[in-house]
Amino acid sequence: MGKHTEVQSHRACTIGLPNGLLYAHYQVLWNSFFAGVGLQTRNSGPTNREILELGNECSIDETCLSAKLYLGHVRSLLGTCDYILVPRINSWGRQRDMCTRFASLYDLVCNTFRDSGQKFLSCNIDAGKKLTEESAFVQMGEELGFSKKIAENAYHQAKKEDENQWKLRLRKEEALYREKGIKVMIAAHSYIIEDDYYGKPIADYLRSLGLIPIRADITDRKEALKQSLKVSPTLKWEWNREIIGSLQMHREQIDGIVLVSAFPCGPDSMTDEIVSRHFAPLPVLRLVLDTQTGTAGIETRLESFADILSFQKKGGLAQ
Amino acid sequence: MMKRQAYLGIDIGSISTKGVIIDEKNKILASAYIWTEGDPIGASKKLLHLLEEQFDKEHYQITAAGTTGSARKLVGTMIGAGTVKNEITAHAVGTTSLHPDVRTILEIGGQDSKIILVENGVAVDYAMNTLCAAGTGAFLSSQSKRLGIDVEDFGEIALHSQRPARIAARCTVFAESDLVHKIQMGYAKEDIVAGLCQAVAENYLNNVGKGKKILSPVVFQGGVSKNAGVVSAMKKALGCDILVDENGHLMGALGIAILAGRSGSIQEFDFSAEHAAFQTREVNCGRCPNNCEIICVYRDGKLIDSWGNRCEKGALRAEK
Repeated sequence: MGKHTEVQSHRACTIGLPNGLLYAHYQVLWNSFFAGVGLQTRNSGPTNREILELGNECSIDETCLSAKLYLGHVRSLLGTCDYILVPRINSWGRQRDMCTRFASLYDLVCNTFRDSGQKFLSCNIDAGKKLTEESAFVQMGEELGFSKKIAENAYHQAKKEDENQWKLRLRKEEALYREKGIKVMIAAHSYIIEDDYYGKPIADYLRSLGLIPIRADITDRKEALKQSLKVSPTLKWEWNREIIGSLQMHREQIDGIVLVSAFPCGPDSMTDEIVSRHFAPLPVLRLVLDTQTGTAGIETRLESFADILSFQKKGGLAQ
Repeated sequence: MMKRQAYLGIDIGSISTKGVIIDEKNKILASAYIWTEGDPIGASKKLLHLLEEQFDKEHYQITAAGTTGSARKLVGTMIGAGTVKNEITAHAVGTTSLHPDVRTILEIGGQDSKIILVENGVAVDYAMNTLCAAGTGAFLSSQSKRLGIDVEDFGEIALHSQRPARIAARCTVFAESDLVHKIQMGYAKEDIVAGLCQAVAENYLNNVGKGKKILSPVVFQGGVSKNAGVVSAMKKALGCDILVDENGHLMGALGIAILAGRSGSIQEFDFSAEHAAFQTREVNCGRCPNNCEIICVYRDGKLIDSWGNRCEKGALRAEK
């Protein structure tokens, strides 16, 4: 991995944040960290068709839709900022791995855009090598020319802000379980369900059908990791464990599950299968997204799933 | 004299367009089944004409209309249907009205296939093929062309085979190369045809039917259910009897007619859409980077509906 030794003049420096993959998890932490050290950030904005096409052009065919979109976001930021942040996260600890996509992300981006002259900033988290989140942020700060102390302070401040905001979001999401109506948990990675072009329309459409969609990924993460072991004692992917644990915690409070994957990748195809079997007889709908821009197929599936749930609740077929 | 109420249901699929008119007791008063031929509007007009010919206008008045199938929205707009619903719900409603004890509905259509599980007359679970159309009617008809056989004769030929050839059916492209290979190796035509039917059944059960408990009574529908070879392969694979209704192809249309009737809103339907000129136009919105493709539908030159826009910026209003 390339190391940037050059020290930038801090005031003028802008960090580009591609709005894909890790952004959904890290936006608060990143934005407050960079604000804490006095740097500006620049977001690539919501996914749209232009970004999809940009990403599609520089990706191999057989890869995850979210990874294609990510490259599109990176590409749209090229040349507009001093650094583009592309983190590398390998693992958080034992049985807390990330999908290989996240371990390879930095190298993949640097290589894809090697002729662009753009500088990339990494944030390397790898429990196996004793690289914690804190050490990764401090290293990132040092790479940008800040002292260890400044970086440490900014990290702690940002972490506090992140935890506070997360608590608020969690409280709001958990209130949905107490609402009256047909409740459907959307089991999808945050980067899918928060995507403006692909994920958000799914939740919006479910809402327009009169259902209450609840996100499985907004959950008490610690408890979810613990609960996931009841479903599968060997599952090793951090985010899939969070989602499965969250489903386990709330299974009695919901009427159905919608699984949304961006690609039948290793982690998702395995967890989707576990979910369909483990949570039966709870109705489960599996959706796999692709680069197609038409929404008709997805709508047909969601609408019929909503029909099944509401007929079941009424105890009769469209009576 | 008070006319009796009747309901119209149209199911516009990728390959065929089906329509029924039923009375209040779900009895079929008129029905028609034609090819869509890539022209859902033209096919629907033709269908309306065929239905009108059979329909007893003196004693009945259509008070509700519904559309289903992949062109449900377009044709729903065109005929002013009060009920526009997905084909899964329509099939479940149609089938359970005729077979109240059904537990599993298998459906293989022109471009997609689905399985619906029913308990006490209520659909409880379903699955649909994912993105590709492997193992559907489209696959069979393209292979029948390659073999120089009419797709209608496919089933009959398959039944003559003693030893069906093994054909990989996971992917249409692989299946096709496997098929060509087997032809060149000198396999008998009926064995290849039977092999294809078997491949379709297995592909369906391994993909769409994966992980689903298939309980009998089983009803098999969709265009492919007319193929005796696939029916026999499906029976063998499932180890139980399968019911193929002679009206199986009309279930979606029947279901949507029933749903339209139950919707409670009364809207008298005449057949005027049959003679109106409909036009669709695709416009690229261009008001934001999404550049949505918006479909506009015109009746006699007047915009009656549009869709495809992801946000309000692309909303086009119908002319009153």
